Amino acid sequence: MDIISQLQELVNTIAALAFNTFGTLQRDAPPVRLSPNYPEPPAANPTEDAANVAEQPKLMSAALVKAAKQFDALVAALPSSEGGEEAQLKRIAELQAENDAVGQELQRQLEAADAELKQVQELFNQAADNCLNLKKPE
Amino acid sequence: MAATATYPPPPPYYKLYKDYIQNPNSAPEPPPPIEGTYVLFGANYTTDDVLPSLEEQGVRQLYPTGPNIDFKNELRSLNRDLQLHILELADVLVERPSQYARRVEDISLIFKNLHHLLNSLRPHQGRATLIHLLESQIQRRKQAVEDIKRRREEAQKLLKEALGTLDGH
Repeated sequence: MDIISQLQELVNTIAALAFNTFGTLQRDAPPVRLSPNYPEPPAANPTEDAANVAEQPKLMSAALVKAAKQFDALVAALPSSEGGEEAQLKRIAELQAENDAVGQELQRQLEAADAELKQVQELFNQAADNCLNLKKPE
Repeated sequence: MAATATYPPPPPYYKLYKDYIQNPNSAPEPPPPIEGTYVLFGANYTTDDVLPSLEEQGVRQLYPTGPNIDFKNELRSLNRDLQLHILELADVLVERPSQYARRVEDISLIFKNLHHLLNSLRPHQGRATLIHLLESQIQRRKQAVEDIKRRREEAQKLLKEALGTLDGH
């Protein structure tokens, strides 16, 4: 896939990682204590281990940072745009002129080669005729 | 009885082409290509495919405009801005959760700018591809010219040799 498409895919991936991160954290965060007057919130269910809740932000943020680093690497790999639009258009015009010239040269060579091929075929025909004429049938 | 509707009939223009075999000029010309905007199935399409600038879409542009934009640096700085905004959003959610909307808007603005910048790289990529194609075509043609020259010279040499052997025979 070309590099600009990769960059676009990566931007979308970063967006997906970001909202997955926030969504997961919001969904899985344990309830917070509102004020010292209210008692502690009831104990969380055993499915939410403290380790799980503490690991997830680390993993997800690591993924986010990795994606951002990939983005920087890809941006560095972009071919530097030498000149601008006008320089490119000028180069295209030059290349077209050169292409036409080389095309005409090719055409000339082809025609000369075709003529020579015809000559050789003519000679071959004559030689074959002579051979046939020399060999009389029995 | 079939409950489905039949297809609409073909357009009646075929009657105009009755004598096409005898006289190709008696039938009408095909319609000219459309220019400007046209309506297709109730939607408006335009023939001029250009990337609309961000202002036209009502989105603020975060990177500077100008004839030559330094794409790499702008992309890098936008990336850093994005990361900072994500961190800000995390902070806001911890401390002042009701003010998330502004931060989320900022993040989506940065994303729109990123995508617009990437899209504006596409014409440049197209021209660069064209240049590459032309260069490789010139290369191939030069190679072909060289090949043909070489083969012709070889053929001439062979003919001379053959002539020499015949004369010496």
